[in-house]
Amino acid sequence: MDNFVVTPTVTVNPDDVPAARLGTRFGRMDLMSQLALLAVEPFAPQFESIARERIAICLVARSSSLATDVEYWKGRDNTGGPSPTLFTYTLPSAALGEIAIRHRITGPPLCFVGGGDDVMAEAMNLLKSGAADGCVCVDVNVVSPALSELIGLPVVAEAKAFLIRRAV
Amino acid sequence: MQPAKPNVIIASYGAITAAGPDVASLLAALRTNTSGLRANERFNSPRFQSSIVGTAPRPSAQPTDDDPAFDLANDALTQARQNLGALMIAPERIGFVLATTKANIEALERLMDGRPCSDRARRHLQPELLAEDLAETHEARGPRQTISNACTSGVVALQQGAKMIQRGAADAAYVVGVDHLSAFVLAGFTALKALDPSGARPFDRERCGLSLGEAGGAIVLLRDDLATAPGIELIGWGSSNDANHMTGPSRDGSGLALAIRGALRTANLTAADIDYINVHGTGTPYNDAMEAAALRTIFGEACPPVSGQKGMLGHTLGAAGVVESIICALALREQFLPGTPRLSSLADGMPASLVKEPRPAERLRHVLKLSTGFGGVNCALVLRHG
Repeated sequence: MDNFVVTPTVTVNPDDVPAARLGTRFGRMDLMSQLALLAVEPFAPQFESIARERIAICLVARSSSLATDVEYWKGRDNTGGPSPTLFTYTLPSAALGEIAIRHRITGPPLCFVGGGDDVMAEAMNLLKSGAADGCVCVDVNVVSPALSELIGLPVVAEAKAFLIRRAV
Repeated sequence: MQPAKPNVIIASYGAITAAGPDVASLLAALRTNTSGLRANERFNSPRFQSSIVGTAPRPSAQPTDDDPAFDLANDALTQARQNLGALMIAPERIGFVLATTKANIEALERLMDGRPCSDRARRHLQPELLAEDLAETHEARGPRQTISNACTSGVVALQQGAKMIQRGAADAAYVVGVDHLSAFVLAGFTALKALDPSGARPFDRERCGLSLGEAGGAIVLLRDDLATAPGIELIGWGSSNDANHMTGPSRDGSGLALAIRGALRTANLTAADIDYINVHGTGTPYNDAMEAAALRTIFGEACPPVSGQKGMLGHTLGAAGVVESIICALALREQFLPGTPRLSSLADGMPASLVKEPRPAERLRHVLKLSTGFGGVNCALVLRHG
């Protein structure tokens, strides 16, 4: 029977962003992607011992990309239209792409919206089925004040992440 | 020893697309290679790079104008359930998977413009609440997932529905893909300069971008021993990430090739077993070239017939994978090869086996469906005629 190892969960919030040293690209990302990347960073050295195409990423975007959607659509009347850079981040799965690019992870990507229960279950499914040897699990939730005003969700900005992998 | 996983079949489907209000109209358009792309007055503005889009007829059952995501998805699933007939499965054993990229983004536009917006439309801005209401409306009370994997969402949702059944969490799964046309998305693709002003021409020498479309697509997946009639089997899936660029595909197609290998492996097939490939085929120069490169990697010079229908329906984003899998199921059921609408002159480097006009197939058993998206995501499915 397979055994699995889970790293401690890393939790980050916007206070952690200014001190981050993840390159100029990091500064152009939306808050959701920044938080997701920061939460993954502490256990990233462990990726070196797993083939990159055998690492999956499971991301839960609890409030979809709605906070970024609001920021993007504020620019609708700008000359030249809204920002193409921000448009890229109006997909809930954008953070998943950023994690993959930074760490060269080419295994199965999966992005859920809503509840976080699916992440651990899906990670276990991927590992038990043999589709992956490790799974980066990220749970990110960003509700900006502007979004909160529109749809009534409480303001929040936080990401949690851990790595689950087959025991060596 | 682990028990054998049950086979999963596509038992029924429904679709509302730019080709028409149902699967019959979609099949008719496939038979005649007729494009549903048209200029839409709503988008005839210098703000947008193109007003040519794939507009779906809005469902007549509950006409509202502020909740198109629910209306399109609900209509497609209603069709699929009607086509299926009685399903003697407890609601708690019916899973639900929604695929969408922007859910009811219409509501965000209305709220930020100060226009009227119903509570229901506002609620469906949140994809998981759209899924909850659709599942409740259609009495699917088993496990529920909301997938938003960019433009691969629909294909990934089918994979998730099949896995739900295979691991015994459900006996059936309603897999629904939806996205509606919006100024929000059209402005974004305009900002990226990714739209073809004269309408998408996938794989064409003159191609220069995509056309957006809207659709609702629904597929009922079923454990095969519960089926009362033979269906198309969903037998393989694989996914990968390019880990290369947020909006551009990898030039060499290696990410998509990795997904195809995964799908062939889970289907227990080799490349030589594939009889037809339904590509993502957006019509952007980079996407189509990348897919051609991936196909060369996997199939070499012996590539089976290939076609794509985004020149007919537009790119329907989260719905695309579901609707185009329905096209694959129709091709298998009717034993024909769909064409590639709006293609006039095949670009250099594209597969020589590209099917321009629809034609009968000599033998169609295994079909490969490909899907790619922003963030470098790739997914492939294998369908089999039972």
